Amino acid sequence: MAFINPPGLPIERGKVHEFANSIGAEEPLYHDEEAAKAAGLPSVVAPPTYTSAQAFFGEKNAPNMFKDLDLDLRFVLHGGQEFIYERPVFAGEVLTAVPGEVVASTKEGKRGGSMKIFDTFTDYKNQDGEVVMRVKNTLLQTAGVVKE
Amino acid sequence: MALKASNINVGDTYAEEICRNLSRTQIVQYAGVSGDYNPLHSDEIYTTEIAGYPSIFAHGMLSMGMTGKMLTNFVGDGRLKSYGVRFTSQVFPGATLTATATITSIRQEAGEHLADIEISTTDETGNEVIKGQASAILDA
Repeated sequence: MAFINPPGLPIERGKVHEFANSIGAEEPLYHDEEAAKAAGLPSVVAPPTYTSAQAFFGEKNAPNMFKDLDLDLRFVLHGGQEFIYERPVFAGEVLTAVPGEVVASTKEGKRGGSMKIFDTFTDYKNQDGEVVMRVKNTLLQTAGVVKE
Repeated sequence: MALKASNINVGDTYAEEICRNLSRTQIVQYAGVSGDYNPLHSDEIYTTEIAGYPSIFAHGMLSMGMTGKMLTNFVGDGRLKSYGVRFTSQVFPGATLTATATITSIRQEAGEHLADIEISTTDETGNEVIKGQASAILDA
């Protein structure tokens, strides 16, 4: 497998369609360009969590990020995710992920022992330099397997 | 479809079953589409024998994406101002998930009508797997 990361994050109609299928979303505005245009939109609209599908399209792919933060892949869990939307994103736009700060902390967890917490902030700009979305991603590294 | 400020009240709820008997195939489909090939979501041998989990489990973002489907069905497409969650339990194959939105406040900001929404997604045993919040633009 290769993990090549070209610059830019194109929002593509086919990818939006595949993504919507993968989350079980049947909304025509995600799949059907004619329906989107009939609704007055420039093209199909990206579902709210769509940019995560291309998070690994940015400058850092997941294996590198785990390595850079010295994380143990076995015990890394996704703790949380937040999106702030300036406006919806449509197919045909090209976004750029602008990496912000990474804030590290530790916490005593109830289920996973002492946890390392990494909050990563990313802004997404479009081709005109307009920030369309801000994202906070929280990764946890537990001391071992989390028991239910 | 969008919500109207005049038609909703604090405490109103909306719920949807967002997946039934979650398949390993759908988890693999999400891995492929998202590019998140973390083996904890697709490689049973790695996950059980090396990491020590009972089985592979779904990407948090798959559960968040499916919960988002409930949210956009409720408030309409392109209406969200924010959407954030914490992943409070893992979701394993076979899960049946129900996502619920509850209106916690209705307010005006910079000339826009907004609703604040509490989100909870639970599995078939009632265990909460996602806890979150969102705000959405309402029609006047």
